[in-house]
Amino acid sequence: MLLQSQLPNSLALAPVLVLALTALLLLVVDSIDPDSTNSAALAGISVVGALTSLGFAGWFLSAGTGQVSTGGGISLYGEALVVDGMALFFMAIFASVTAMVAIGSYDYLRGKPHQAEFYTLVMFAATGMGLMAAANSLATAFVALELASLPSYALVAFLKKNRGSVEAGLKYFLIGAVSSAVFVFGISLVYAATGSMVFSDVAEALNGTEFVGVAGLGVLMIAGGFAFKTASVPFHFWAPEAYEGAPAPISAFLSSASKAAGFAVAFRVFTEAFALSAIPAGIDWVLLFQILAVVTMTLGNFAAATQENVKRMLAYSSIGHAGYALIGLAALSAGSAQNGNVMGASMAHLLVYGFMNTGAFLFIALTEHWDIGRRFEDFNGLGSQAPVACAAMTVFMFSLAGLPPFGGFFSKYFLFAGAIGAGFWWLAAVGAVNSALSLFYYSRVVKAIWIEDPSGEFQITSKPIGLYAAVMIAALGTLVLLPGFGPVIEMAQTAATALFA
Amino acid sequence: MNPWIAIGALGVVSIGIPLGMMAVSALLRPSVPEQGKSAIYESGEIPTGTARLQFNIQYYMVALLFVIFDIETVLIFPWTVIYRSALEQGASLTEVLLPMLVFIGILVVGLVWAWRNGAVEWVKSPLAESRKTERQT
Amino acid sequence: MVPAEWYLLLAAAVFCIGLIGILTRRNALLFLMSVELMLNAANINFVAFSYQWGNVTGQTFGLFTMALAAAEVAIGIGIILVLYRNFDDIDVTKATTMRW
Repeated sequence: MLLQSQLPNSLALAPVLVLALTALLLLVVDSIDPDSTNSAALAGISVVGALTSLGFAGWFLSAGTGQVSTGGGISLYGEALVVDGMALFFMAIFASVTAMVAIGSYDYLRGKPHQAEFYTLVMFAATGMGLMAAANSLATAFVALELASLPSYALVAFLKKNRGSVEAGLKYFLIGAVSSAVFVFGISLVYAATGSMVFSDVAEALNGTEFVGVAGLGVLMIAGGFAFKTASVPFHFWAPEAYEGAPAPISAFLSSASKAAGFAVAFRVFTEAFALSAIPAGIDWVLLFQILAVVTMTLGNFAAATQENVKRMLAYSSIGHAGYALIGLAALSAGSAQNGNVMGASMAHLLVYGFMNTGAFLFIALTEHWDIGRRFEDFNGLGSQAPVACAAMTVFMFSLAGLPPFGGFFSKYFLFAGAIGAGFWWLAAVGAVNSALSLFYYSRVVKAIWIEDPSGEFQITSKPIGLYAAVMIAALGTLVLLPGFGPVIEMAQTAATALFA
Repeated sequence: MNPWIAIGALGVVSIGIPLGMMAVSALLRPSVPEQGKSAIYESGEIPTGTARLQFNIQYYMVALLFVIFDIETVLIFPWTVIYRSALEQGASLTEVLLPMLVFIGILVVGLVWAWRNGAVEWVKSPLAESRKTERQT
Repeated sequence: MVPAEWYLLLAAAVFCIGLIGILTRRNALLFLMSVELMLNAANINFVAFSYQWGNVTGQTFGLFTMALAAAEVAIGIGIILVLYRNFDDIDVTKATTMRW
């Protein structure tokens, strides 16, 4: 309402524009004086930028910009981008995760060179993610995906002298390069079959197309590209390596924001361009996502249960959560009234996940800052040394597992209930079994922190303010989402239902 | 006529001419083998070392910058194609020109940053300096 | 005029050459070259079907793909350089401090 009457339409992209301008500003600041590093200023600019972006996204969401009530999505640049409820919802997720990562990085990067580059790359990646959520054409989807990916490769390999970080960057890059090539080849096949890249035109041309084979192969390859970005089977191999080797704030950023970005663009592509109502019967992508969802969540959770390294366990659990979110695409059927509910629940899960998973990885960043090792045993007795941070970690773990009094419970509940409502009870059943399994390995962390006696001597001397603040904000987000979950799920489901209209 | 015939003819001719020239010159020329002829040609210098040597890393820095900015100019092409007709059809100058200025402006920010951070500065390594002085003495 | 299927075949062939290169080569630089082949296979499709459908969307996007491929190579070379500094090799199978 507000935007339509008072601001020009092009400002609907403000959340993304702010992120891009922040990145450029950081470059300018670093150009003015490349030799000195003012970490506080750099981190401050990034945080202010991310919070401004979050403010715009929140304002637009509450004002109803681009939503059905005010006349539907705002198309920009010849329908290359569209700003609607779903795009703004995801932009809010990216902006909050970026803000938390920027706050946490202030301490993590202390004394390290190239800090300006670090924040710049984070902001550019966040810009790309925001654009992914708003992409309304296969062309912008690909360009935005690369804008999100390329800085991520560099960020994972940021610790140039750390072999693990470099190795993680290499593997992330290798698989990313291949999957983006597969993705763009898929786009070229869809273009070959339809002659267009704008989603609505693709859907129109696919309806009754004679090139079912070419289009089907294209759809399959595009799904492969999304599988990489969301760390789902079969392109999930990079995830444990990249998350384990990367600097922990970057692991948080990739496993929450980057994954949500992959889902944002996948949701839009598969509901708008390859809409179930328009797609030829030979291309059954729902079946594909059903298989991927079941395999991804099972593989992620079972692999997580066997890990000895907490960071790697979180990496595998992140794959498992990708499987849950995939239910949003797997429990769809043509013309069903439940479609919006399922996808909306999946979006809400990604929001909650954005807070709890970022928090968990930032806690790992905290332990890396204290230099106390990464295995479960190394965490023994940490609760007596740093009770506040450990309480936050406990919240994250139980919320990730989906225990009742936490945010993660509600999102999973709505997700599984949506799947049952849409008639896919077996997806919900597999998800529930996996959640039960996940409780096992998440509670191992909690047990190590609070119950076990410390195995070795370690002294926690410093209390890094930035990391503490970031962990607390994440914990607060996870807890605030308890009473605030009603409006969130409503907003998400309205936004998702608009996609099917 | 099948258009493939023309393409095939082009292929035959383009392979035939160089092969023919080599064959004719091989038949006509006198053969006088000599050591100087088989030596590696290096602009008149006496060749030293092997061909597989490690280049200074800074060549790669400059080359990378070149590749990126060179390719970015390619993105200006579609804009130049529509520029005149867009103006003729009534689009305002700001609408047509401003996006490209913004695009180039972003590139300039990146270039200035790279410049200020010394990506295009030629740092002389002490090793190379010492070798140079050795050669001069 | 060359029928459209032939372009598809050519693109698929180039794509598969790239894919096989990725699967068999261990040298990181050859890997990059193989990825370039795969991206350019997509470009063949874009340009061919741009002509086929009579719009310039495909051609323009081909330029975008080229630019992104260049950016990807720039990042890739950077990562390969730090790989070489840390592991004294650009064999992608040598970097195994973590379980694959």
